[in-house]
Amino acid sequence: MSSRATGLRPPTIAQVGVGWRQPHYAELLERLPQLDFLEVHSENFFAEGGAALATLQRARADYCLSLHGVGLSLGSAAGLDPWHLERLAALVRRVEPERVSDHACFARGALGASLVHASDLLPIPFCREALDVLCGNVSRVQDRLGRQLVVENLSAYLHWLDVPELEPMAEPEFLASLARRTGCGLLIDVNNIYVNALNAGLAAAQSGTVRDPIRDCREWLDRIPVDVVAEIHLAGHCHVRTAQDEIVIDDHGSRVCDAVWSLYRHSVQRFGPVPALIEWDTDVPALDVLLQEVALARATHTQAGAP
Amino acid sequence: MSALLDRQQALLAALFAWPPATEPLARHVQLPWTRGLQAYQTNGHALAQRALGAAYPVLAQLVGGESFAAMARAFWHAHPPQRGDLAQWGDALPEFVRASAQLAQEPYLADVASVEWARHCSAGAPDREPDRSSFALLVESDPAGLTLDLAPGCAVLRSTWPVASIFAAHQDGGPGFEQVGARMRDRVAEDVVVWRAGLRPQVRQALPGEAALLDALLCGMPVLGAVDAAPELDFQAWLGPAFECGLLLGARLLGPGAAGAGPDPIGAFSTPL
Repeated sequence: MSSRATGLRPPTIAQVGVGWRQPHYAELLERLPQLDFLEVHSENFFAEGGAALATLQRARADYCLSLHGVGLSLGSAAGLDPWHLERLAALVRRVEPERVSDHACFARGALGASLVHASDLLPIPFCREALDVLCGNVSRVQDRLGRQLVVENLSAYLHWLDVPELEPMAEPEFLASLARRTGCGLLIDVNNIYVNALNAGLAAAQSGTVRDPIRDCREWLDRIPVDVVAEIHLAGHCHVRTAQDEIVIDDHGSRVCDAVWSLYRHSVQRFGPVPALIEWDTDVPALDVLLQEVALARATHTQAGAP
Repeated sequence: MSALLDRQQALLAALFAWPPATEPLARHVQLPWTRGLQAYQTNGHALAQRALGAAYPVLAQLVGGESFAAMARAFWHAHPPQRGDLAQWGDALPEFVRASAQLAQEPYLADVASVEWARHCSAGAPDREPDRSSFALLVESDPAGLTLDLAPGCAVLRSTWPVASIFAAHQDGGPGFEQVGARMRDRVAEDVVVWRAGLRPQVRQALPGEAALLDALLCGMPVLGAVDAAPELDFQAWLGPAFECGLLLGARLLGPGAAGAGPDPIGAFSTPL
């Protein structure tokens, strides 16, 4: 493996990687820019052969990989799809990634007589039963893979009603319990926290309440135990406005905004030099734009100073 | 039913039912929720269009952008994904197209879609290496105890329409649309061979008798029986070019009792249209 390998950077410097998407497959392999890791969506490489897998294996020769899943459906009360877990296990064996992650969400469940998969990151309620289901599924994945899984917080556009009998809890405590019970790591998506805070602010504004999204996000981050965070995600979002309403969407389609950079600084100060990822999935720009964001992440980390 | 299961089913029903069934969901979510649900619905439709567009680019060109988007939305609700990998979704689209009253005036579209799905499947089929030296078996061994190894994702599709020409017309260097139109008017039937040469999926019209030979091999028949099933094909003349284009990988001795034992798992996609 070349000098781009994660392990050769001093441990006090945060590793920074990019989400490697199809428009940059060839260019990145040709230029081999200085990156600490590449993140790919696991499901894009589930095939048993062919060009995509060959491309990933070429990249593996020069970079550490982070396999980031979007389809395990870890929070599904209907359980995991054994096919999906086996495909992931095969891919993990093949590319030996630095980290394997997915989301605290569900997508799989019954629709009439069939089990369907929504192909989305649907929110789970933060309650006792959902925590038990999530812990069970995460443990099953970790047992099958024989390694730690890292679980990411969502941006959510629906919020389940809190019902006292279901023992609701706040999201940070829910995720902290997940990490404590299963030994999984947490992937903190700072942009997701900010998007949720903005949407909560928009909802509150309808009832005349004003909220400070930055303060809400810092309080959220401060409730996550420092020793369970394995990776941080940074991305852009967009505001979708109509005459009637507005919603903020985590579309990964623009540069990281100033507010999210400030929350990243706060995260670095709290969690230390954990690996950070620049995600860009919509309207993917030139590779150099992503590399500029990587440079900004490194500079932000240096300025913030780890604890 | 558990409270969690109930909630998750309510959200899935709101996303996939058409028209959307939101009443069960409304009991479980905080206000305001309609804009959030719409965000998930919109994302699902965009994913459907993107996933099917990747697997069915020629069909998308044939029906046009708006119609293809509408078809993708309708298919999303009629046949929701069952796996968390959208590349696995879409195998039912050819039959969906065949059953569509709106597309009844274009009866060849379903066959084009079948070719595209076979091509899509070949792209991710397990890798296999060619073995030129193995062809010595063809002169050294009894052809009743030999079979031929075909390329990853090899499939044969038979159509009563000129689907190979239609497909080729949408590729660089293919026949002109006027030429294809003439074959359409004449109802020229074309069989199609799909395979992957190295990392590149390939599609071309089958040679006379080639579909019968490949069908027999895909069903696990020995060389002797496969050649007998394809009297129109000059087998000796076919071998060299088939190897050079990556369709044929090598020869192999059949194990005891293997002849006719069933389809080869790497090449089981052989479909009369």
